[in-house]
Amino acid sequence: MTNLNRRDFLKLAGLASGSLALSALAPQALALGAQPQASKPNLIILLFDAMSAKNLSLYGYHRETTPNLQRFAERAIVYHAHDSAGNFTTPGTASLFTGTYPWTHRALNMGGLVARNMLDRNLFSLLAEDYTRLAFSQNIWVNYFLNQFTPQLDKILSPGAFSTVSQVVGSAFKDPAAYRAYDDFLFHDGNPPASLLFGLAGRLLFRRQYFSETSTLGAYPNGLPRAGIYPIYFELNKVFDGVFETLASLGAANRPYLGYFHLWSPHAPYRPTQEFMNIFDDNWKPEKKPEHRLGMRVAQSQLNTRRRNYDKYIANVDAEFGRLIDRLEAQGLLENSYVIVTSDHGEMQERGDDGHVTPLLFAPVTQVPLLISAPGQRTRVDITSPTNSVDVLPTLLQLTGHPVPDWCEGALLPGLGGTADPERSTYTVEAKSNPAFAPLNMASVALRKGPHKLIYYTGYEDQAAFELYNLEADPEELSDLYPTETELASRLKDELLTQLAAVNQPYQR
Amino acid sequence: MAIFKRFPSVAQIAALSGVLVFVLSSWTLLWFFWKYPSWLYFLQIGEILTVLAYALATNFFESLVVLAALLALAVILPKKWFAETFAAHGLALALPVLGYMIFIAYQFQAKADYPSAALNWAPVVLAGAVLLAFLVGRIPFLRRAVELFADRATIFLYFFLPISLLSVLVVVFRMFQ
Repeated sequence: MTNLNRRDFLKLAGLASGSLALSALAPQALALGAQPQASKPNLIILLFDAMSAKNLSLYGYHRETTPNLQRFAERAIVYHAHDSAGNFTTPGTASLFTGTYPWTHRALNMGGLVARNMLDRNLFSLLAEDYTRLAFSQNIWVNYFLNQFTPQLDKILSPGAFSTVSQVVGSAFKDPAAYRAYDDFLFHDGNPPASLLFGLAGRLLFRRQYFSETSTLGAYPNGLPRAGIYPIYFELNKVFDGVFETLASLGAANRPYLGYFHLWSPHAPYRPTQEFMNIFDDNWKPEKKPEHRLGMRVAQSQLNTRRRNYDKYIANVDAEFGRLIDRLEAQGLLENSYVIVTSDHGEMQERGDDGHVTPLLFAPVTQVPLLISAPGQRTRVDITSPTNSVDVLPTLLQLTGHPVPDWCEGALLPGLGGTADPERSTYTVEAKSNPAFAPLNMASVALRKGPHKLIYYTGYEDQAAFELYNLEADPEELSDLYPTETELASRLKDELLTQLAAVNQPYQR
Repeated sequence: MAIFKRFPSVAQIAALSGVLVFVLSSWTLLWFFWKYPSWLYFLQIGEILTVLAYALATNFFESLVVLAALLALAVILPKKWFAETFAAHGLALALPVLGYMIFIAYQFQAKADYPSAALNWAPVVLAGAVLLAFLVGRIPFLRRAVELFADRATIFLYFFLPISLLSVLVVVFRMFQ
């Protein structure tokens, strides 16, 4: 197998001190990635749900949350300005899979689906010819559209796989609709079960099992990590062990594979192990930012506590990640695999807002980590130009020798075939309260272009509103330039509104 | 088969089934219409109807389970105690238990980890149901009222039975397609 070897990467790193140098290297990276089928690299995507780049010491965060990601970064390309195309799981993940923005794939709503005419427009279908494709998501919302892609996947693991106790009914059925019917409705754990007999009995039995099997587990003082409102309780180490064993078994087969692992952590509820419970009791208080009018008005002291717990949980996840990478390396699985580490959206504890169920599009909730380690890579490359989650699909296609389809809205990532284009516009779209197949009239859209970010809020207040930030001069997004930088604001506003009108056009009645 | 002679009449079974189907399906439909507006945001009508098919098929099997339990009682107990007045006695037993289950189900809306306190009342509810069944046997007016209600509920069978069977077919078809 032809890999990106040490010499190639030293050469790459040496030349990659600036974005122009990176663009010059693009064809080489491409040539290295586009290999004949017999020696195609494996693709391992590790997605950590709700992991904000802003809270990672890898990206300069005050607390030492990610020593293991930093260690991994020494053998990876690190993207410093990577945005998700959505600010919560459904649009963020769908953009990663399809290489399109939410206004195209239409997975806009909580638990929504991608447009039915896009079922063969995703990473899994595009790699179908020569790759074994396996997906595992602890987030059932992701399973909803993974199940839409069932014909293009060789295997979808149950969201309850590797869990300590779980009750996922839909995975017992071949029909994807069963998830929606049972796990989102009849047996749903957030409300009274809609199935009075089976649903109630199932829930009572599950709760009894949970208490009997977890009462002796003292390692998690706040309780076992849980996959949101769904009855999936897990121990971090067991989940990471499961990921490793799955990858090891995939590696044993004589066929390149794509393994997609969507791990719930560090998504709330933040439940670190005892070992990480006290690590950030440091009295550090982050800079207080003014409350946003569309925020939840959560008290700052509460936000600080939540942030501390989030940071502890990230550190816990990072430790498990380090253990996984060490095992993969010992097994030799990193020598023939691209490892992609990223997230679907961030998390924010500022401006009176907590979490990511928000119309706001500030960096903590949009900026996510992206690290890509090429087979056998031993050096670090840092990319500072803005990138977006829609760029991952075309890049992976290019690296594996597949053509990039013309419907794809992403571009090749700098350092892996793409060039840093300061004039390129990327977007983050939030429209969870907007019907999926209607014009985006209740939405927030962020346009990122060069150092600037224009945020457009429509439908949340009587009048549409804009905010403009210069992310280079003001990375904390504290100074709204919209009222003062009128010419720049007007230009970006025109571009954003024109784009929005174009994507809304097919849905106008 | 001697065991079939111990079975209640078809009319009595139908009357009780009507009530069971009505209660179980109504509960599900209540939540279905609660979820329906959000599904309309991103599911197509056919997909929503598929979910409804799963729901009604599940309700159908739930009704069969409850009915089977009551039929088992009818077979086990002396015919005069239960089988001959199957609709009235079955209803007297089933309704308090189903009502109690709805109460327990609502405990989960309050995010109770485990509704231990509510479950502690289970023996009392069961005893109450048995007492009601006893009274139904002893008080003719009460019995007539319960039988009248069960008889009227038979109409739900005409509606739910075909839809439930169709739903079962849809689910089976989708499982094997």
